[in-house]
Amino acid sequence: MSASSTEAPPTAATYAYGVVAADSIPTLERNGVADAPVRAVKSGELAALVSALPEQQFRIRRRDLLSHLSVLEDAFGAGTVIPCAFGMVLASDDAVVREFLDPRREELLGLLSRLDGYGQLNVRVSYDEQVVLEEIVRADPTIAQLREETRSRGEDAYDLKMRLGELVAAALAYAREQDGRMILERLVAQAADVAVDNPGDDVLKASFLVAREGSIAFDRELEDIAREQAPRLRIDVVGPLPPSAFATLERGAWES
Amino acid sequence: MAVATRGTSSNYLQRAPSPSGLADVLSVILDKGIVIDAFVRISVIGIELITIDARIVIASVDTYLRFAEAVNRLDLAESGGAGIQDLGSGDGAKRKAQGALEGAKEKLTPGGSKEREKSRS
Repeated sequence: MSASSTEAPPTAATYAYGVVAADSIPTLERNGVADAPVRAVKSGELAALVSALPEQQFRIRRRDLLSHLSVLEDAFGAGTVIPCAFGMVLASDDAVVREFLDPRREELLGLLSRLDGYGQLNVRVSYDEQVVLEEIVRADPTIAQLREETRSRGEDAYDLKMRLGELVAAALAYAREQDGRMILERLVAQAADVAVDNPGDDVLKASFLVAREGSIAFDRELEDIAREQAPRLRIDVVGPLPPSAFATLERGAWES
Repeated sequence: MAVATRGTSSNYLQRAPSPSGLADVLSVILDKGIVIDAFVRISVIGIELITIDARIVIASVDTYLRFAEAVNRLDLAESGGAGIQDLGSGDGAKRKAQGALEGAKEKLTPGGSKEREKSRS
């Protein structure tokens, strides 16, 4: 690769993980990206958690991705942290202050106080496909008829199969949309904020900002939904995580 | 199959403190978090492609066939009423199914789902 031929300074660059308050810098024992020790670069009330990035380090390995998250999780375990997206590199420690902390001071201070006491729960809701396909066949006479037809005709029913499949896919997409919206509304009511992702083949994928202590109402809502919707739905919850989905500067580049 | 895990409602709500798979890790750190204008972004060749692929849902021939097979494999208690004879055979059946399909498309794609429409065509 030719990436190393760019005009990078001969000294190491600085990789940034996130921002904390300068008066509560966590002690981080685990090394970060490129196995480098993590330290803090301070400016006023803010501090960036950073590590050195050797000049020759251009290939990102799986463990670098995991290290980035580990550093943020450790910092989050110790207090409030504004996560940076993976891959943020500045020319030097000095550049961290001049190009990042200082010009964004007000926004960063605002984010720190907004995220203080909150964590992120990543919720993924998916169908038990078997159960929902049964619902779809029972609810739609056209699909039921096509199913009978294709079952009895076997291999030579290609066209009908295609139509059956397309109808089922459309019905499934519609059901996902309806269920996704319903669950989102219920959970949003118990959260401080939400960032919705494209669910892909799932019913709902979203990050919720909830109080780190006493997110009881949110938990209860999750349990209620899971109980009411069993066995057709499954809910996976990961967290509390460092609130990366809510760490956006003014342009809000990641809102979908 | 997942049948064995059915039983109590707690099986339908799984919690984990931290993401496990690489895809879940990426969903927390790759396009989430602060990004500023003036910085060098490490190129994460390959990884971005993975996540982009995962976001595009393409309704393909394979998907349709898979759903058709899945539906055919269902073991439903057969209810009376609509059967093969009602559907007729040959071209009549095709037209009927076609009509139903168009109707379903209209019903299922109200305004705003441009993305899905695009990926279909």
